Amino acid sequence: MAQRPQKKLFTRKKSCRFCGEKDLTINYKDVKTLRNFVSERGKIIPRRIVGTCATHQRQLCEAIKQARQIAFLPYSGSTQG
Amino acid sequence: MRRYETIFILRPNVGEDEINKIIESTTQIILNEKGSILEMNRWGIKKLAYLIKKESLGYYVYSDYAGTPAAVTEIERKFRIDDSVLKYLTIKTANSITEEGIQEALVAISAKETAKLEDEETEDVDSDEAEEENNLDETE
Repeated sequence: MAQRPQKKLFTRKKSCRFCGEKDLTINYKDVKTLRNFVSERGKIIPRRIVGTCATHQRQLCEAIKQARQIAFLPYSGSTQG
Repeated sequence: MRRYETIFILRPNVGEDEINKIIESTTQIILNEKGSILEMNRWGIKKLAYLIKKESLGYYVYSDYAGTPAAVTEIERKFRIDDSVLKYLTIKTANSITEEGIQEALVAISAKETAKLEDEETEDVDSDEAEEENNLDETE
């Protein structure tokens, strides 16, 4: 089998923050952590950009949606005020 | 018995009496269904991320308890009737909890609270710095 052409030299290896830092947990009440994973508009940032692993992205997604329900995070747009 | 946590948001302009009454009644419902309260915490007035019923602030109350599904439906029914409750969210944190589990959870919660109190005492010194940081964030 032919060798795969080398990837672009500039891509930085992304790593899942929740796998790396063991004391970092995903909880819908922990708004400070969740804020790192939504855009300024309040959208959830995709996995291909933030680099979280599939398991954690799924949990994160759930947590963000719960936080939105109880008005910790906005559904859209930046926080009022 | 299952373990749930419920957060509910009250209108910011309701009086202390009204808040006490609502908390009292939810506690009563849980106890009537032979459940037990693990934690009942008033987070106080916080800014909401979006307007709810034209209110921009809300009084948050957090409760952690062991109870039955019937208790939850009853609490939520009461909340829907009550005008001063803006929003509520109940989340099941454990499928089953035993008596021992309840005791363990109570110990863990009280330990956490004492740790928090100690933390605050030590953090008082550099709280000014933290405030400054917050201000910077806002201006950005």
